[in-house]
Amino acid sequence: MSSGAVQAAAGRPARGRRSLIGPRSVLRLPSARVAIAVLIGIGILTVFGATLAPQNPLTINANALFQGPSSHHLLGTDYLGRDVLSRLMAGTRLSVLTALEAVGIGLVLGTVPGVATVFLGRWFDFTANRVTDALMTLPSIFFAVAVTAALGNGLVQAMVPIGILLAPFFFRVTRAATLEHARAQYVEAAELLGASKLHVVRVHVLRKVLPTIAVTTASMTAAALLSVSFLTFLGIGVQPPAPTWGGVLSSDLDYLAQAPWAPFIPGALIAVTVGALNALADAFRDRSGAGTLLLTAPAAVTPETLERVDDDRRSQPAA
Amino acid sequence: MTVLNMPRAAAGATPPRRRRGRIIATRLGGGLAVLLPIVLISTFITYSLGALSNSDPAATILGQDAATPAAVARLNHSMGLDRPLIVQYWSWLTQALHGNLGRSYFTQIPVAQSIAQRLPVDLSIALLAVLLAIVIGGTAGTVAAVRRGGWFDRGVTVVCSAASTLPAFVVGIILVVLFAMTVHWLPANGYVGPSTSVPQWLAHIILPSLALSLAVSADIARQLRTSLVDVLERNYIVGARVRGLPYRRILFRHALRNAAGPALTILGNDFPLMLAGAVAAEAVFSLPGLGQLLLESAQTRDIPVVQGLLLVISCFVIVVNLIVNVTLNGLYRTSDGIGT
Repeated sequence: MSSGAVQAAAGRPARGRRSLIGPRSVLRLPSARVAIAVLIGIGILTVFGATLAPQNPLTINANALFQGPSSHHLLGTDYLGRDVLSRLMAGTRLSVLTALEAVGIGLVLGTVPGVATVFLGRWFDFTANRVTDALMTLPSIFFAVAVTAALGNGLVQAMVPIGILLAPFFFRVTRAATLEHARAQYVEAAELLGASKLHVVRVHVLRKVLPTIAVTTASMTAAALLSVSFLTFLGIGVQPPAPTWGGVLSSDLDYLAQAPWAPFIPGALIAVTVGALNALADAFRDRSGAGTLLLTAPAAVTPETLERVDDDRRSQPAA
Repeated sequence: MTVLNMPRAAAGATPPRRRRGRIIATRLGGGLAVLLPIVLISTFITYSLGALSNSDPAATILGQDAATPAAVARLNHSMGLDRPLIVQYWSWLTQALHGNLGRSYFTQIPVAQSIAQRLPVDLSIALLAVLLAIVIGGTAGTVAAVRRGGWFDRGVTVVCSAASTLPAFVVGIILVVLFAMTVHWLPANGYVGPSTSVPQWLAHIILPSLALSLAVSADIARQLRTSLVDVLERNYIVGARVRGLPYRRILFRHALRNAAGPALTILGNDFPLMLAGAVAAEAVFSLPGLGQLLLESAQTRDIPVVQGLLLVISCFVIVVNLIVNVTLNGLYRTSDGIGT
């Protein structure tokens, strides 16, 4: 530890040590490997889904309503005889990209002030925390629907508020992790050696905080994906013939009497994707001890609960 | 803080009730003081959302033919929409404190009235869901922690991971297929008020509540298991066992009490999630609740209804968090007394 501190303070971080929390050790976990395989599949569907789809997702076939899985329709057909597999494949892009849009917004709005708050003094910290607390009282789905009322019905508009409401989670986690590292002895040593704040953030803090941010990003992507599927399920933001995961599910719900098995297919797709993201976050967390705060961060507000979170954090194994 | 000596505290001796009441009251006051700016900020965000909209309510109300610039300006003035945003917000907030959330642009029904009409639906589902989550999650987490490493523990871990990835609307649909379509035990949709028939009311809300509570139960079970395993290894538990206290008493009065905190925090955290789930449950089970009202008014751009709904919902979240915090403070016990 002490030799590492000296090296770090001298501006030469011990490179070998970084692999401790690197992606390679995460890959050793079987759950992480499965999760990454699933996510690569989803990534391929996002880019090529519409072209890979075996049939046109919009073609209506009145002779093949509510068909079960067969060689011609691998996942069956819906109430208009459209191929469910093709609809899900073609719907992947919109669902995934809008989820990433929300996560991107949350990532920027959350982590930047999260790192900054430690270095900008108490006033900024207090204000940022109160705003965070206030944002956390707004339920994201309600807020998203309300924003579509104000700004117009579109998935891109609807995901902006979701992103804004993800920001508090990024902020909390980043702030806590930054705080922890910014008060470490080696940072003190670096400051004594005359390192600027920017240098400390860039070299010492940001690198240590990154695993935490990665964990949070994975679980927030899962949350955003759920929100997208839910919003499209409610019919927010998409015009009916366009396929989305939630949209497929919602039309299946209307025809449960004819095809009670149908909702399980889009349901399973959503659950598997979300599960893969969560498993990846868990694997990262297990390997690095990062992002543990996420589990215990209180939505409110009293100093006692914050203290307790700090205690919980301290009681977590370091690596 | 009073210093209780260890044996008495371990035997579960309570400090005088009045003292505990005073501590809780202080915490409540402190919590409220912290919450006030939060309420102000979140309501302002809520309010300015409507003002941000580029929709022109006066023109919408008047209709295309009657919307001459003069008429629009007159209506804007009579609705107060030509005043600065902060002034509008302040008068809206003071009116809201008196229970007046304005009227719908289109139906002219007071917003407070339509919310009050639909609130019982969500309240029933949410309360029953919280109850179910505590019972299911609490039992599973406790048993898993007590028999850690056993098959039940491993089963709980697997089920929890699966359950927390399933969104409430998918769970709802699965429940409908299982209980309403396949075995016909319970109604698939609709709502009956408790004043009409209590058994009917329960039959209609049990499936939506179950759908809502599943993910939260999983979170609670996981969190409770972790903290209970931690607490059960603490010195005071060992001490209590050495003194020969019955295991059941140690578990319930000493361990669970101190381990329940993080799980309760999770419950408070998950509450906004449950509200989203309530919207899902309303959609799946066709319940006439707040979520349906929100969707309808969002489609027609009925801004006062949307603003009122967001206000009510955020207040809900804030109140729930306050309750959770106060409960936490009453729950924690150390050798220094309660609430530390």
